[in-house]
Amino acid sequence: MSLAALQRAFIAEIAASDEDAPASSLGMQIYRQAYRGRLAAALEISFERTRCWVGEESFAQAAAHYILTHPPHCWTLDAYGADFPALLGELFAENPEVGELAWFEWTLQQAFAAPDRAALDPAALAAAGLDEAQWAGLRFTMAAGYAARPVRTACLALWRALAEGEADGFDPASGEWRRLIVWRRDHTPHFRLLDADEFAVLDALARERTLGEATATGDPARLGEWLAQWLGEGLFSGFSTAL
Amino acid sequence: MSQTIAPFTGFGLGLRKPHHRAYLEAEQPVDFVEIISENFMACGGQPLATLEAVRERHPVAMHGVSMGLGSAHGLDRGYLAELKALARRIDPLWISDHLCWTGVPGHNSHDLLPLPYTEEALDVFVRNVIHAQDVLERPLLVENPSSYAAFAASTLSEWEFLSAIAERTGCYLLLDVNNIYVSSVNHGFDPREFLRGIPADRVRQMHLAGHSQGPEGMLIDTHDAPVCAEVWALYAEAAQRFGTTATMIERDDAIPPLDTLLAELDLARAVTRERLAA
Repeated sequence: MSLAALQRAFIAEIAASDEDAPASSLGMQIYRQAYRGRLAAALEISFERTRCWVGEESFAQAAAHYILTHPPHCWTLDAYGADFPALLGELFAENPEVGELAWFEWTLQQAFAAPDRAALDPAALAAAGLDEAQWAGLRFTMAAGYAARPVRTACLALWRALAEGEADGFDPASGEWRRLIVWRRDHTPHFRLLDADEFAVLDALARERTLGEATATGDPARLGEWLAQWLGEGLFSGFSTAL
Repeated sequence: MSQTIAPFTGFGLGLRKPHHRAYLEAEQPVDFVEIISENFMACGGQPLATLEAVRERHPVAMHGVSMGLGSAHGLDRGYLAELKALARRIDPLWISDHLCWTGVPGHNSHDLLPLPYTEEALDVFVRNVIHAQDVLERPLLVENPSSYAAFAASTLSEWEFLSAIAERTGCYLLLDVNNIYVSSVNHGFDPREFLRGIPADRVRQMHLAGHSQGPEGMLIDTHDAPVCAEVWALYAEAAQRFGTTATMIERDDAIPPLDTLLAELDLARAVTRERLAA
């Protein structure tokens, strides 16, 4: 057997879907257990509060399913849980706070260690002396770790309650759709809920649309107020203008 | 590319999260720290800022677990690029990884998987080390892992395999004394024969760690306990053979207070001192 074939067979055995199938040797059994144990531990660390909310047994079942269906493909174990919130969203479809809480936990951690991007200094933008056409053609680069998603539960309040050990009896229903954004400024992750109008413009900018294009999607009367707030919050790390 | 790594003598510890604050608050009595490279690659924010602050006080060795030097499918170019970027930032003493493979394309085990010690695997490993050294523009250190499975196809011992890699690539060796002991128990070889089979002039670092008892007499390299008496005894022999080689204690689970590890590191200093005096 070639080395390439041996390595494919080895990986297939330690990641075998039938957990109860006997390993070919005691050593292979050790590697198989280590594989599952390491991935399960990575998920437990990344989704500590979600695990607390759904309970250890439910979490372990979801993790086992994820490990079987999502072989790790990245060189860093820190990336392994990227698709776990989506899976939890499917598995706990009747409890939408679970997937949203997991997404928030994951995204905060990603923001914490995201590659550095210094916040855009509002004075630098003011000093650029842009004319009206240049303002309309302005594009922004988002802050380190920026991510966004719609949420329909009180997942932020739940996250806080879990941290304080006060989640017993917590009702996560909120009844309205909001947009949750996460980013990092300096060394600290930040997060905020937005209404649909504000998010529509910010989301367009995050998708590298120009300020002129983004404004067309939202309420132009509030644009100045929003822009000042976003700059003050460090939501951008840079800008460019095509003109 | 520099073809050599000058010997560095000293005693160090792994830089682990529970001790970050202690390292930031004061200079610690270690001669170097070792990081897990992957924990700081493609990374920014507080983790990288912590590393850079520690680097101002201590030399840093970069120790990787994901290069997969034994992969029959070659190395991940993106991984090497990120590793090189971190090395440029940190200016490490050296970069090390393991005598192992970690996965196949699209499936990473995140484990140090064993190789058959065959001429084919040797050719693969040599090719990958040369590739990595070319990209990184420096020689690597290759470490012996603990292993739990052996292959009937092997025609070389682990130490013969390591020696051949060093000879054919110009790389250096990181000897993990605990791993030698663990594998010697698991596979039934004499750990002293392992030490005797290693070219002393290629060894630039030694690791010490604890292990745990596995099933049916197997030992598992868990890094969750103090160094045991048998490993200290083997380390004393290694210190005699390899001299004042840079030595560090790895602790990755059940991590005790820093003072506890510093006291354990003092034992390594004492063992080396006594053995060299003798």
